[in-house]
Amino acid sequence: MTSSSTADRDAITASLFDIVAEEAMVDRSAIRPEALLEELGVKSADFVMILMAVEEKFGVYLSVDEELAEAKTVRDLTDIVVTRIQEHRARAGA
Amino acid sequence: MRRVAVTGVGAVSACGLGAEALWRATLEGRSGVREVLFPAMRRQQVTRAAKLPEGLLASLMEGSKPRFQDPVSVLALAAAREAVEQAGLGPDDFGSRCAVVWGTGFGGAPTLNAGYHQFISDPGGRFDPMTVPKVMANAPASWIGMAYGATGPTYCISTACASATQAIGLGTQLIRGGLADRCIVGGAESPLVDAQFQAWESLHVMSATECRPFSAGRDGMMLGEGAGVVVLESAEAARERGAHPLAEVAGYGATSDAADLLRPDVAGAAACMRQALADAGIEPSAIGYVNAHGTGTVANDMTEAEAIRSAFGPASERLLVSSTKPVHGHALGAAGALEFIVTLFALREQTAPPTLNFTAADPRVGIEPVPHRPRIFSAEAALTNSFAFGGVNASLVLTQA
Repeated sequence: MTSSSTADRDAITASLFDIVAEEAMVDRSAIRPEALLEELGVKSADFVMILMAVEEKFGVYLSVDEELAEAKTVRDLTDIVVTRIQEHRARAGA
Repeated sequence: MRRVAVTGVGAVSACGLGAEALWRATLEGRSGVREVLFPAMRRQQVTRAAKLPEGLLASLMEGSKPRFQDPVSVLALAAAREAVEQAGLGPDDFGSRCAVVWGTGFGGAPTLNAGYHQFISDPGGRFDPMTVPKVMANAPASWIGMAYGATGPTYCISTACASATQAIGLGTQLIRGGLADRCIVGGAESPLVDAQFQAWESLHVMSATECRPFSAGRDGMMLGEGAGVVVLESAEAARERGAHPLAEVAGYGATSDAADLLRPDVAGAAACMRQALADAGIEPSAIGYVNAHGTGTVANDMTEAEAIRSAFGPASERLLVSSTKPVHGHALGAAGALEFIVTLFALREQTAPPTLNFTAADPRVGIEPVPHRPRIFSAEAALTNSFAFGGVNASLVLTQA
């Protein structure tokens, strides 16, 4: 992985933390990569709101698929979404 | 308790006009999913659905009363025509002993959608004065009642994706309880209009790729549309007029999760299937085929598979399970009726239709559906499931006539 794509990943991840805080109405300071979504009170309806915001900001449509449904921690969630956003950008750029 | 016979079925779906067309398509694995584009959606992400074949709605609208009927009622009437004709019912067979029990999730969505567009784009312009009677959820039921002179009770069930299954179940109970001798039951839905499609897309439960129920890598459902109608009669009423039953509705189960609005629940779904089996008075091993709700969403398929294992116990190992939604789509309030018809054909022909687009087993699902090609079975009964948002579960058991 190049340093630019790592930087890119970090930037998207930071912006996803903001989205999770805003859409799931969680205190931004409580959002750490290892935090459990369940403990943060992120429920199925919050997932939908998060995916809507991701679509608005990054232009990528993500349905609640197997991987997303299995996400347990904030990191699980952001890793999947960041990968999808990067795949989307690679396709769009290709 | 009075036995309940099915004497006629009718369908309009992405597979075309007719119950036979629906069955052949599911059996042969011909999907009715096609491109659906809405110019008003500036950012349409999901672009496919199981839409009626080009020109079919227009041809059905020609024989209708378009100023008074939303497409959802036109579809209902077309399916009813086929079912009543197959049942061989004459003008004297309706009247006060005939009920109509109808399911729909959203009623006249196309008219409502057009009304909002009109209101916003031309607020002072002429508004469709028939909007209310076209949109109301009971319009299809009332049009069917008027078409045949069914003057018994009319009920309309709106429990999202469980609507039509519950309509068939309630119709069965009316006949068993002696409150009607005959019921025209079923469901219709016309959700493929822009604002409603946008609403579904925003919920992020639709797949932007393929609907692949129970499969690894599944990522959502595919919307459908259409109508399914079933003519139910008490076994005596059918016998008296010399009708030939196609099958019997032997059991109905209905439970509620009372838990989460969107997330399905294993206990509620399993209890529902158990209740349907107990109501039919048969052992789980008597069921040869289950037409699953099988939407292709992660949550439904995992929950439904676990519920099937729980309700059927060891009998689940030999059970054939498939979802035919990749063929006719998820037709919401019509889904239960379309799938009841598929289940009826499957039972009569002792053949389970396949689950299209299945790629590989998902170890967490623990049930491998009949993939790719139909499979034959030998059994006296089959079961069909519908599970709805709101935590509403409904199952029907059909037995051979």
